[in-house]
This record gives sequence, structure tokens and C-alpha cells, in this order.
Amino acid sequence: MLYVDPVPIAARIRSFPQRYAIALLTVAAALVATLLLRRFFPYPFLFLFFGAVMASAWFGGTGPGLFSVLISTLVVDYFFVPPFHSLAISTSAEAYFAAFVACALVASWVSSSKKKSEVALKHGLDRLEIRVSERTAELMKTQAELAHLSQVLSMAELTASIAHEINQPLTAVVTHGHACVEWLSASPPNLEKTRQTIERMIQDGTRAGAVLSRIRALFKKEAPAKDWFDMNEVIHELTVFLRDEAVRRRISIRTDLVPGLTKVKADRVQLQQVVLNLMMNGMDAVAETTGRPRELLISAREEDSELLVRVEDSGIGLNAETAEKIFQPFFTTKPHGIGMGLSISRSIIESHEGHLWAVPRPTGGAVFQFTLPIRPKESDA
Amino acid sequence: MPEPRPTIFVVDDDASVRDAISNLLESVGLQAQLFGSTEEFRNAPRPDAPSCLVLDVRLPGVNGLDFQEALEKAGIFIPIIFITAHGDVPMTSRAMKAGAIEFLMKPFQKEDLLAAIDQGLERDRVWREEDAQISSLRERFRQLTSREREVMDLVVTGLINKQIGAQLGLSEVTVKIHRGRMMQKMQASSLAQLVRMSDKLKPQLRR
Repeated sequence: MLYVDPVPIAARIRSFPQRYAIALLTVAAALVATLLLRRFFPYPFLFLFFGAVMASAWFGGTGPGLFSVLISTLVVDYFFVPPFHSLAISTSAEAYFAAFVACALVASWVSSSKKKSEVALKHGLDRLEIRVSERTAELMKTQAELAHLSQVLSMAELTASIAHEINQPLTAVVTHGHACVEWLSASPPNLEKTRQTIERMIQDGTRAGAVLSRIRALFKKEAPAKDWFDMNEVIHELTVFLRDEAVRRRISIRTDLVPGLTKVKADRVQLQQVVLNLMMNGMDAVAETTGRPRELLISAREEDSELLVRVEDSGIGLNAETAEKIFQPFFTTKPHGIGMGLSISRSIIESHEGHLWAVPRPTGGAVFQFTLPIRPKESDA
Repeated sequence: MPEPRPTIFVVDDDASVRDAISNLLESVGLQAQLFGSTEEFRNAPRPDAPSCLVLDVRLPGVNGLDFQEALEKAGIFIPIIFITAHGDVPMTSRAMKAGAIEFLMKPFQKEDLLAAIDQGLERDRVWREEDAQISSLRERFRQLTSREREVMDLVVTGLINKQIGAQLGLSEVTVKIHRGRMMQKMQASSLAQLVRMSDKLKPQLRR
């Protein structure tokens, strides 16, 4: 647990002998005061002893409280209960004395238990406060993780649903194609059915094309969500987000960020997706390497009024031919890939008037980099 | 009696896919009935003919695999061919374990679909044959008198007429008469055949 268990304050501040010393002192003070007050009252003014008992119990706890009851009893008996200056008690004073002792005990008990509940309450409140702040911190962390995760998921879900959307008309086209062959193979060939079938194939093919242009439009339309932000921050967040995954895959992620980069105006979530996608791709590529350092380097700097972000990996690399192919929709080199990540990433970057391309890395591996135009803030284009 | 024309039921939420499958089946002379949801399929009357079901895995509201289970629970036995855009190994193995004929990835090849449909219809024919036999046996059994049923129960356990007579308190000759009528009504020509019939009449653990 993070918090220190708060020991009752009385115990923490005062040591054992100190607490009993308080009992002695308060009773002594009560005695002196009562002796002084004797001149003004016809009867001994014993109430001050109750005060001493309550104070001892309050500050010292149950033990010192009872201890002060004991010494108060002795002192009262000695000084104020006839016969005076003796510990003996005359028969006539017995009831009076017993009442005093009972009252003192009650005072001690009330005071110490009141104190106890007060300490417990404070203790509880302290704990509660610590728990609340812990939970708040946890919640904020979870929320941040969720935000990131939902972006990863949306990319995966998006590609899955695109695949489904396109696969349906494709299935229809292929199936109609088979039917077409059958209608033509009949004797005599059923030309009317063939014609109808081909018409449907045209419809389904057109529908598949419409799905793709809808996706393209999706990324172009989302342009208004642009805002100024620091690319370094995005990269830093993503490296933190991917740290566990990288450790699990034994890949080291390094960053080389020029501090104080000019902020760019762009859709932060979309750019997060792009950088995340490039980093995930890099990690996938590195996963297949052996005998070379397994690393991913993300750098960001300004070059000719453009922001340049590079994601370098020490993975399997790519040749000049695949370097362009990988940006085509549905081209993938991964066994379970759909081939949409880079294509979508490129649309995003291009909708921000930037460029995304890949080059082989001289030392082995690949470099994926993109540029974004840097504009003066005033233009606010 | 000529066999009624087989029907292939197609359940897919995508109209163009349904339409294409129906076109393909029509082009090879098969008859299809199309449904956009499992609900529609459940509520539609099914003709008394060999049939099988071409079922999409991803359907709105219900998963095709769950629907397969639901059909079985409801005592509706129909050979199923799954089609899906994104199948994986666990999905396939679950479907096949539950008795699916085939698990096809979209877009599928004509030969694969037609072969699966043939196999499905063949399986359904066997099931229908068995069902027909059992219901005809039940019909024959219903015609037996209670005495004849008692005699049949004891005959199939391997007892001879004398023992049966002793158990039922009848003379050997009476048993013989009941036995003869019973064999005739059941259309059994031998004791062995009668035993097989009796086995089939027992409450069936279906397939």
C-alpha cells in the first residue's frame, strides 16, 4: 500500500512515559489550584480533578486516564477527605468519596472513548482521501490507455469492416461469373440469363468501387478536426503506450526528437493513428529478424519548412519495388494482414498536404517517413 | 414415387450475395429459397423434400454458428453449409464438430459449393429415408393388439412359444396364433428382421 497507516496521533507524538507524565502534571495542577481555591469555598472544589482526568484521558489515552483517576483518588483522599492528611476515610465521607471516584472513572472513560472515535474518524478520512487520489490517478491512466486503445481498435475494425464490405460484392461477382459460364454452356446457350447475370455483375462491381471511394471520402472529409499540437508529444505518448508490447517482443524503441519543434496544425487522432501504424509495422518487421539488433528509432525534426517524422526499423527491409506497392490498398506482406494500414496512413498524410513514403535503410531494415507542411500560426489555414 | 424436387435454402443478409447464389443454383438446375435472416428462415414453411441450408456466419443479430446449435436444439435437422468472409480455424472446427457439411470462404468456387450441396442433399436423403422407415414401422406397430405387442416384446428377447405362453398365462397354440398375426402385421419374414424393427422402434437417439 502506498499510504502510511496513520497511528493515533496521541501515540505518535508522545512516548509512553510522556503520556503518564501528562497525567501526573494535570493532577498536580488540579491539586495546587484546588488547594488555592479552598479559601473561597466552604467545601473542597474537586471538579478540577475531573478536568485533569479528562485531559489525561484525552491526550494520553485509556491508560494515563485511569492512572490520573488513581492518583486523583489518592490525592483527594489525602488532602480533602476527612481525616485530612491521611489515606484513611471516615465513615461519613465514604459515600462522598465513592461518588467522586465513580465520577472520575466515568469522566476518564467518556473522554478517552471520545478521543478514540475522533482519531478513528480522522484515520478513516485520511485513508479515504489517499484512496480517492490513488483511484483518480488509476482512472486517469486507464482513460488515457483506453483512448489509445480505441484508436488501435478503430484502425483494426475499420480494415475488417472494409474487407467485409468489399468481399460481399466480390463474392457476388465471382458467383455470378460461375453462373454465367453455366448459362453459356447450356445447349442452346441461355443468352437472356447471361445478359441478366452480367448486368448484376456490373452492379456488384460498381458497388465494390463505391465502398472504396466512400472510404477515401471519409478521410478527406475529416479535415476540419485540425488543431495545433506538438508532434514530439504524440511520439512520446505512443512510445509509452507501446513500451510493454516492445518489451514483450524484445525490441528497443528509441526516439530522437528535436526539442521545441514548431507545432503543426493537423488532426491529432489521425496522425496518432499514422505514427502508431508505422510503429506497429516496424515492430512486426523487426520481429522476423535474427542476428541484428532489434530496434525501432523514431525521429522528428524540421527540414525546409516541413516537419519530417521518420520511423526506422532494423527489420527485414524492403526493396525499391515493394517500397511503392505496400501503399496500395490490400497489398500485404503479413500472413494475417489486410493491407489497409499503409494505404489509409498515406491518405491521411496526403489529406494534410504531406507525403508518406518508404526507403530501404542503409544498415538493413526500412525507413518510413512522412512530411507535414509547417505554416505560420497566423495564417491558420 | 418420384422424389420431390430438392430445395436449397440460402440465408445471407447481403441481397446481392443471395441473388448470385440463387442465380448459380438456377444455372445448374437447382431450386433455391432465399432468406435475409435466420428469423425469416425459421418462420417459413419448409417443403417435404430433400434440402440443405447455405448459411452465412455473420448475420445481423445472430451468429450462424449459434443458429446451427439452436436448430439442433429445436429438433430441426438440416445439413448446413457455412459461408463466411472471415473464417478462422476455431470457427471452422466448431462448425464442423457440430456436424456442418462444409465451411466455405467467400468468394467460393462453384465446384466447392455444388459438391457441398450435393453432399448435403445426399445426407438429407438418408435421414429422410430413415425417418420414412421409422414412421412406417410405427404405423405397423400401431395396428398390433395389446396382446400381440406383449408377444412381440417377449419374442424379440429370444423366448420360445412355450416360455412366452407360461409368462403370459396362455397356451402354446394361442401364442402361436398371436405370433403369426403379429409377424404378418409387422411385415417381418424372420425373427432377425423383427428384432431389427424392434430396435428401430425404440426411442431414437437421433444421429
